Amino acid sequence: MADLELKSVRKAFGEVEVIHGVSLRIADGEFVVLVGPSGCGKSTLLRMIAGLEKVTEGDVLIDGDVVNDVTAAERGLAMVFQSYALYPHMSVYKNMAFGLENTRMDRVEIDRRVNRAAEMLRITPYLQRKPRALSGGQRQRVAIGRAIVRDPKIFLFDEPLSNLDAELRVTMRKELAGLHAELGGTMIYVTHDQIEAMTLADTIVVLRDGYVEQIGRPLELYNRPRNRFVAGFIGSPKMNLLDGHVAGSDGDTLTVMLAGEHTIPVPFAGGRAAPGDPVTLGIRPEHMSVVDGEDAPATIPVKVDLNEQLGGETYLYCTAAGLPQLTIHQPGQRRAQRGDALRLALETDQAHLFDGSGDALGHGRAAEHG
Amino acid sequence: MVDQTLDTPATLKSRAAEWAALPVRGVMRLLDWPMRLAQRIVGLGGMPYVFLLPNLIFFGTFVITPLIINFAFSLTGGPELFIEDRPFVGGEQYGFLFDCENALNVSTCREDRFWRGIYNTGTFVFFQVSLMILFSLITALVLNMKIRARGFFRSVFFFPVLLSPVVVALIWKWILLRDGLLNAFLTSIGLEKILFFVDPTWAMFWAVFVSIWAHMGFYTLIILAGLQAIPQDLYEAAQMDGTPRMRVFWRITLPLLWPNLLVVLVLSLIKGVQTFDEVYVLTGGGPGTATQFIVQYIYNTGFSNQVQNFGLAAAASMVLGTVLLVLTVIQLVVARRKGGI
Repeated sequence: MADLELKSVRKAFGEVEVIHGVSLRIADGEFVVLVGPSGCGKSTLLRMIAGLEKVTEGDVLIDGDVVNDVTAAERGLAMVFQSYALYPHMSVYKNMAFGLENTRMDRVEIDRRVNRAAEMLRITPYLQRKPRALSGGQRQRVAIGRAIVRDPKIFLFDEPLSNLDAELRVTMRKELAGLHAELGGTMIYVTHDQIEAMTLADTIVVLRDGYVEQIGRPLELYNRPRNRFVAGFIGSPKMNLLDGHVAGSDGDTLTVMLAGEHTIPVPFAGGRAAPGDPVTLGIRPEHMSVVDGEDAPATIPVKVDLNEQLGGETYLYCTAAGLPQLTIHQPGQRRAQRGDALRLALETDQAHLFDGSGDALGHGRAAEHG
Repeated sequence: MVDQTLDTPATLKSRAAEWAALPVRGVMRLLDWPMRLAQRIVGLGGMPYVFLLPNLIFFGTFVITPLIINFAFSLTGGPELFIEDRPFVGGEQYGFLFDCENALNVSTCREDRFWRGIYNTGTFVFFQVSLMILFSLITALVLNMKIRARGFFRSVFFFPVLLSPVVVALIWKWILLRDGLLNAFLTSIGLEKILFFVDPTWAMFWAVFVSIWAHMGFYTLIILAGLQAIPQDLYEAAQMDGTPRMRVFWRITLPLLWPNLLVVLVLSLIKGVQTFDEVYVLTGGGPGTATQFIVQYIYNTGFSNQVQNFGLAAAASMVLGTVLLVLTVIQLVVARRKGGI
């Protein structure tokens, strides 16, 4: 068990810098998820922590010691690879024991550790099988088992669930959460799937193009995204981001004129926006609802493009004049057909406002206190 | 009213494609009725055999028929060329080849040149195959590393494979002759000349060396392909596990490369047993019969000796063919097993 710190870590491949000075503290026992779209540098960052990539600039500290020049093996970390990286010619048992044999550990101790990990992961019946005779989920467990037996200071996971089918991914996600609760170790987990990030993490680090966009607890990121990118990335379906400009401000209410001449008053306690400034109004799909009333404030007339009925909930995809397609999440079942004209009410106290450069100007009152 | 066809790049492209397809269409039309006829005669189930026919005819004419003729010749005796003139002798030629007083001593055999050829071929194959695999493996391991000018070195090691065996032998002969390049070098640094083709051990050494030099690139390529097929993740996992480099080689690289090495082993065995042209040009089989291999024995017996003994050469070919058949079966079994590590 250990804590980890990154101090202005940079990575360049030749001329191209891919990580631009990332600083991060991970406390002992924390489950941290590095999340971002592909190519954002999350795997590179993990590999630098692992010692598989050299750090171009900055420091990686484990338990307060700089480990930049310490080999991967000596850092005492264990990594679970996306491809599982199981040795195909070795049995499950051998795969798990291989790393321990390197350290010339006592046979009895190796046996004890492998069996304990196998039990924990429910793979004891497969110990003598080769990896090719296992299903994807079982292989994944072996890969995790291989990490557990080494009793590492920190567990590193590089997109470990991305090769599994949707159903198995949900199961394994729950198992990983359980495993973290059981082992209590520090875990750093890379994924591009924001649902994995939201469900597993104590702390999420959102990365884009080698920069940290935001670090925070999952709901903090959801409720108070620091910028447009985080707002759009965290949450599924995505937050609706509607461009417009400030039409006027009146104490604690800002009137936003959206493209297509929709006027939305937003209760908003930020003073930075002046009339005429370009702004983006962010509103999550669950913070819009269908209303009957005519021309109420903060409503938009729309036409239904598509109605996805999932039984317990309904997603409506609608278009409004001048705006991109809007996604609306409604609990329960709602009958609406393509082409139907509806009126949407925006829960403006849950709205988010971003300035012209994409930074958050502030969040609606409810979001602010969420 | 506007009615004109615009020559946009897309329409031009499709028109060019139409033109290019014309000869293909012509051939198809030409083949159409014979194919329909064939299908009417043999039925749909017989059509695969119709498609296989051209290859079967080729294979039959140039492989199966000569094999049968060769076998027929091996059962006949006498110096006549045409088989109808040759007396049937049954297994006499085989008996002659295998007629030894003491199976462990080649000189007690009636046809000791045959056994000498087998013994020489065995020695050659043993050293050539084992050393070649070793060198190919080392070369492939080096060429798989991130070294400078890797592409250049990969081509350099492969180039000899592109040369004709005769050219290879002539180049090396030019280097190794009494007044060749190597001896010129030896004398220039004050050493004595070595008569490489007079000393049996040297002659065999150079036969093995030149053969390895000429063929190594091919096997290096197979091994290199095998090395590159091993996922990088495995090495990274081993690195995280703190596996020492030699242990990575013995416990990960070598086991995963094993199927490729088996293919290389069997292929090089088959090729090694068939060796003829390079060594024939390089040493002429000499000194004496020191580098005379089984194929050269067959060639000499059948064509080059004063008395041409077609029957005996044919019988020796059948023996060699049997050995190659066994090796090929092994290769097929190995290749089939390659899929499942």
